[in-house]
Amino acid sequence: MLVLGIETSCDETAAALVADGTILSNVIASQIDLHARFGGIVPEVASRKHVEAIGYVIQEAFDSAGKTHTEVDAVAVTSKYGLVGSLIVGVSAAKAMAYALKVPLIGIHHIEGHIFANILSNPGTPLPHVCLTVSGGHTMLVHVKELCQYEVMGNTLDDAAGEAFDKISKFLGLGFPGGPAIESLATQGNRAAFNLPRPLGRSRSFDFSFSGLKTSVVNMFKGRDRETLPLPDIAASFQQAVVDVLVSKTLQAALHKGVSAVSITGGVSINSRLREDFSAACGRQGLQVFFPRRDLCTDNAAMVAAAGAARLKYGEMSQLDLNAIPNAPLESIGCAGKHC
Amino acid sequence: MRVLGIDTANLTNTIGLIDGDRMVTDFAWEARDNSLQRIIISTDLVLKRAGLTLAEIDGLAVGIGPGSWTGVRVGVTVAKTLAYAVNKPICGISSLEAIAYQARSASILLCPLVDAGRENVYSAFYRARGKTLAMEGDYYVGNIKGLTERVKEPALFLGKPAHLYRRAITGELGDLAGFGSPSDTSSGCVVALLSLTRFAAGAADDAFSLVPLYLGESLAQALLRKKETEAGDE
Ligand SMILES: [Zn+2]
Repeated sequence: MLVLGIETSCDETAAALVADGTILSNVIASQIDLHARFGGIVPEVASRKHVEAIGYVIQEAFDSAGKTHTEVDAVAVTSKYGLVGSLIVGVSAAKAMAYALKVPLIGIHHIEGHIFANILSNPGTPLPHVCLTVSGGHTMLVHVKELCQYEVMGNTLDDAAGEAFDKISKFLGLGFPGGPAIESLATQGNRAAFNLPRPLGRSRSFDFSFSGLKTSVVNMFKGRDRETLPLPDIAASFQQAVVDVLVSKTLQAALHKGVSAVSITGGVSINSRLREDFSAACGRQGLQVFFPRRDLCTDNAAMVAAAGAARLKYGEMSQLDLNAIPNAPLESIGCAGKHC
Repeated sequence: MRVLGIDTANLTNTIGLIDGDRMVTDFAWEARDNSLQRIIISTDLVLKRAGLTLAEIDGLAVGIGPGSWTGVRVGVTVAKTLAYAVNKPICGISSLEAIAYQARSASILLCPLVDAGRENVYSAFYRARGKTLAMEGDYYVGNIKGLTERVKEPALFLGKPAHLYRRAITGELGDLAGFGSPSDTSSGCVVALLSLTRFAAGAADDAFSLVPLYLGESLAQALLRKKETEAGDE
């Protein structure tokens, strides 16, 4: 089954063709350089850019897969979770494609897409497992009971982890996006140089909070001349604090659910320190750990197509009045636990 | 030529179908944040009423604004993706021209208005030239006072905001100002009709690069431009 995936929930305009778990094309037009000039993502700018890029991106997905419109069996699109103005563009395009090609339309929750980024990369990931999906827009712990059967265990109470990276990067004058900037500087720093808080690290809840950590860093160094700041040490200590919280919460969640595996997805899962620490900690606990292919960590449409194919297998599809819902909860589908 | 016309730039969203210069069917709804939800269903309704499938039309026309930024993005994205998917030509039409076209038999200056929020309007001046309209000058975005200052002759104000600001317009222009019917609005059929001359002239748009006519930048863009201009001046 050939599925066209479309994803425009934030600042990437993406389209992909996926056939039965094989990625035939995965096209992403990144707006990152554009938003870097603003020091962060500007919703109206993102929405406009999506309209400009969407047609080219869809065409490129067909061209590089060597497929034609008539071969498509379904269209899947991120319709839930993200910037509403951005989601609207992808949903508009997906509806038009599905209607014109007379194929089913499937609206996908963005977080479900990230869960499938790992399943697409590592089809052998055991079920159930616990998935941490962590990026500039979200930090969520999900108990993946079955394909398309979820329980959200924890969420961020304030900033997403990637957002904290962006804010600290801005504070230190390292630019946007913050993740890669802090990671590369951190390699030259001492991660034990500063004693930063591990917010909610010991609490029983699986929720996250990063704004206190951000404030501690800012309070510790504000008013100081940037030239005198030990930037690599700050970057390394801050990164370690974030990673420590992510690792400890995810392992707690895995233990709580008694699963044998965890997956870490989303843009922040590219971070090498995070991958190393997760691998080491999971090894000690006897847990398997899975990361998506690097090109499937950040937002992409192949993961959306994969999630769409899974939902369609369970007979689930959307109507043509599908709406874009920025704050929708992650929903399971009807036929619980049954492999169709 | 059968053309499907779509305009979602205004509060009244509209989809219509023409066959040559004959209006086949027209459908409109008051869109309160439901342009996205209803656009394909309404398109399907219009085509079914006409007994046609999307593949059986010859082209698409879409109102590109100015108007609601979100609304017009839905219309433009849907129209250009439909055109791309079934490989039909597409033409972007000014949503202001579509309003002015309703009063094309008037011999005076036509001044269609679309709400731009914060007591501002989008506007432009048109004059009937035979069967078509000629635009005079540039598009306008700003308050009513700034608009009326540009009017030096009898003019017909059209569109919903014309009635909302009727008193202010009359206050500035007195007898020079005339008003159309409050029901003057864009229509899918009119958008489609306006595309016929463009298609005939071989002036269709490229479905990939077609974008809305925003007539304004986001606040962030404006601030950034100011910052960069200042930095350049130093
Ligand atoms: Zn994401």
